Amino acid sequence: MTLLLILIAVVVSGCERLERVFVEEDLLERPPAKRCADCHADIFKEWEKSRHALAWKSEQFRRETENFRKLKCLSCHAPHQVDPEKKPALRVEFREDGVSCVACHFKEETKAMHGPLKVWSPPHPSKKDLSYIRSNFCAGCHQETYKEWKLTKVQKTCQACHMPSLGKKDLIQKFPFYLLHLAKPRHSHEFPALKAKPEDVEVRIEGNRLVLKNVGVPHNLPTADQGDPKLYLIAEVFYADGRRRTVRKVFSPQAKTALVYGRPKVVPLPKGEIREVRVKILRRLAWSDKRELIKEVTLRTPSP
Amino acid sequence: MGNVGLVLGLVVAGSVLFAADKIILKKPPESLKKYYPPQSQKFEFLSNMYSMSTSFYAVNLNINEGNWDKALEWAKKLKETYLKTSKMVPEWKDYFKPKLAEDFVKAVQSKNVDRVIEASKKLGQTCSRCHQDNQIAVKLVFHFPSFDEIKLEDPIEFMEVKTGDYMKKLSNSMKALRIYLEQGNTEMAQEAGTNFVERARGLRAMCSKCHTQKISEEAILGKAFEDALAKIEDLITAEKPNKDEIFKNLALIGNTCTKCHNVHLIPEMVQEAFAK
Ligand code: HEC
Ligand code: HEC
Ligand code: HEC
Ligand code: HEC
Ligand code: HEC
Ligand code: HEC
Ligand code: HEC
Ligand code: HEC
Repeated sequence: MTLLLILIAVVVSGCERLERVFVEEDLLERPPAKRCADCHADIFKEWEKSRHALAWKSEQFRRETENFRKLKCLSCHAPHQVDPEKKPALRVEFREDGVSCVACHFKEETKAMHGPLKVWSPPHPSKKDLSYIRSNFCAGCHQETYKEWKLTKVQKTCQACHMPSLGKKDLIQKFPFYLLHLAKPRHSHEFPALKAKPEDVEVRIEGNRLVLKNVGVPHNLPTADQGDPKLYLIAEVFYADGRRRTVRKVFSPQAKTALVYGRPKVVPLPKGEIREVRVKILRRLAWSDKRELIKEVTLRTPSP
Repeated sequence: MGNVGLVLGLVVAGSVLFAADKIILKKPPESLKKYYPPQSQKFEFLSNMYSMSTSFYAVNLNINEGNWDKALEWAKKLKETYLKTSKMVPEWKDYFKPKLAEDFVKAVQSKNVDRVIEASKKLGQTCSRCHQDNQIAVKLVFHFPSFDEIKLEDPIEFMEVKTGDYMKKLSNSMKALRIYLEQGNTEMAQEAGTNFVERARGLRAMCSKCHTQKISEEAILGKAFEDALAKIEDLITAEKPNKDEIFKNLALIGNTCTKCHNVHLIPEMVQEAFAK
């Protein structure tokens, strides 16, 4: 019935005026993310699982800011408005939403939702804005990672990896309105951290040294701005004389020891005639205390 | 008139600068916490301080210019803020003498310069007394974040430890490096040296827990520090490590430790003492 009315309305009054009829004013008054879920239910469910949604609620963030006492820490974790390459200002309302829908999509200048698509969206004005598909959209907050990425000259954007394509899907789920819209290209709002594949990290023995190279992740491995993620190397070295030594190393962006894309990292091994090295590489994400295996490999020195 | 300016000026300045042969730090009272983050972002107590100090100076300024009416307005404002502030921290009630604030207003009303000087001196002394007892401690407790909450992962043992414990491990591996070198135990010196270098590099992870600008980090852990660590890493792997060169670079690193301690250690020590 409603659908019929809308269809009639479209025919009778044309889109222009209809847009004003169906505008839901509160959407332009910076509502909480939950409000967007009334229509964008699927996107909301993805975002809810993302670290962006937890940027304020994160227990570790609360602890490290001493209960939000360190004021200069707050703006990226509860931004007001995201603009390319600009460090955001701190939001006043709904800080518990962290990096929220409104912060990333609503612009004060146009009072519209900006996004990558050209859409007809009666409940709120929308504006196609190509900055959403470029890496520098993320750069105001991921400042260090963005700088690293730029130096690699890799064309693939942050979004291409961390907002992977979900194919064509409906942007909204609300009945009956979704019937009026065609499926469109969708991108995961879970913002997955991903995990380096074994082949992303090369490991070789060169004499008495182990050489590691990040050849697959186009920023430092690991990368960080304010977080403190880690990469662990555990190398068991077996010598011709039967000795065994274990070498343990941590690579961390904060200590400036992360694996730079394409640049070999040399780890000296204790002296002796090496027969075999069993290498394990693990990682720990900034927000997690779990160590996850990235690569396990046994290297043998060629017998003379 | 110049006289008034001088005397009043001294009284107001006296509220911040004071001479003593002994400084006692008292733990700030519980109820003061209400006026500082995280409970409040508005620094209400401190802003009343600035307001009173401005009012004091405004009275001074206006009397010097012969503008007694304006001076009286500011004196009344001072009294009002003084009374309001006296109710903010119950534990500190006795530092305030409301009658002296009232006397100050009356003195300005009388347009008698000598009376104003006398009254402002007396009122100013109530400011100084509290400042002597409390200001340093409050600055150190409420304007510096705590190192005690910070955990760092030790890059050798892969374990999270508190700042203090990290420092102990760091300085112990530095000492061990020295000792083994002195004793000529090359292999042990190598291990201690590698541990020290890794731990010293790991120090950086601490900075981003409070600082959001890399320049703060670079100001202390700059290129000189980086280079000295790389040199040590290189020197200790030699067949016969060059002791003197290693000690020279350790001294350079020692300077950076001291720099960082100079900036951060005093507030940390006071906070720690109060926490006990
Ligand atoms: C307003 C600042 C801001 C912007 C803009 C931003 N991020 Fe983030 N991002 C954060 C914060 C803060 C975190 C950490 C949240 C936490 O874990 O507390 C984060 C975390 C992440 C993570 C880590 C996920 C994990 O599980 O460890 C990824 C991946 C990520 N962002 C990708 C992106 C991409 C891609 C973009 C651009 C499309 C982007 N971000 C834009 C602030 C931002
Ligand atoms: C310029 C933007 C920015 C500022 C300012 C900022 N952060 Fe973050 N923070 C991020 C981003 C982006 C991440 C995602 C991980 C990474 O890249 O380091 C993050 C991740 C984190 C994490 C790890 C994720 C989690 O929730 O456990 C913690 C803890 C954290 N930040 C604490 C702080 C503290 C403390 C400050 C102030 C000293 C601060 N942040 C200031 C952008 C920022
Ligand atoms: C009452 C329904 C409704 C609500 C609530 C709603 N939207 Fe939309 N939105 C739409 C419709 C309809 C479209 C267009 C869908 C299509 O063309 O397939 C749209 C499209 C968009 C787009 C795409 C814009 C582009 O140009 O790429 C963005 C971004 C967006 N909405 C953000 C939001 C945000 C943020 C909120 C919450 C503050 C929100 N929307 C709440 C109905 C809604
Ligand atoms: C080619 C794909 C690719 C591109 C492009 C890419 N990343 Fe990543 N990124 C990864 C992978 C893979 C990881 C996981 C590394 C690991 O195993 O820890 C990662 C990890 C991260 C993390 C770490 C999360 C944590 O908690 O440690 C952040 C933040 C991040 N990327 C942000 C970005 C940003 C911002 C950009 C664009 C400037 C970008 N990435 C570009 C593949 C990519
Ligand atoms: C960190 C910033 C960020 C947050 C938070 C965010 N988005 Fe997006 N959104 C983007 C970017 C970037 C794109 C473009 C992705 C692309 O095209 O590669 C996008 C795309 C979209 C689109 C177009 C369809 C698609 O999947 O590409 C819609 C609609 C949308 N977002 C709605 C929302 C809603 C609703 C929320 C909250 C539940 C939200 N976004 C949260 C950055 C964000
Ligand atoms: C009951 C105690 C007390 C009394 C009485 C008091 N003050 Fe203060 N004052 C403080 C404390 C504590 C601080 C430090 C507050 C802070 O740094 O957050 C302070 C700080 C100040 C400062 C700021 C100094 C700076 O550089 O940060 C000024 C100015 C000041 N007081 C003026 C006054 C004046 C003028 C009076 C009397 C009219 C007065 N105060 C009375 C306790 C008091
Ligand atoms: C943030 C800058 C900073 C740097 C750089 C730094 N320290 Fe510290 N250090 C501190 C702080 C803060 C404490 C007090 C920690 C506590 O007790 O909680 C401390 C305490 C110490 C202690 C006393 C530990 C105890 O509790 O008994 C020693 C020893 C020490 N540091 C050695 C060093 C050495 C050696 C270096 C250089 C290689 C160094 N520090 C570099 C900040 C720093
Ligand atoms: C527990 C919090 C904390 C940690 C951790 C910390 N600082 Fe600071 N630091 C401060 C405070 C507070 C100041 C005073 C200035 C201010 O309020 O920002 C300061 C001041 C400084 C200054 C002088 C002013 C400036 O910002 O340039 C330098 C340089 C500095 N710190 C370097 C470091 C370095 C290097 C590290 C890591 C080894 C470090 N700090 C770790 C809290 C901290």
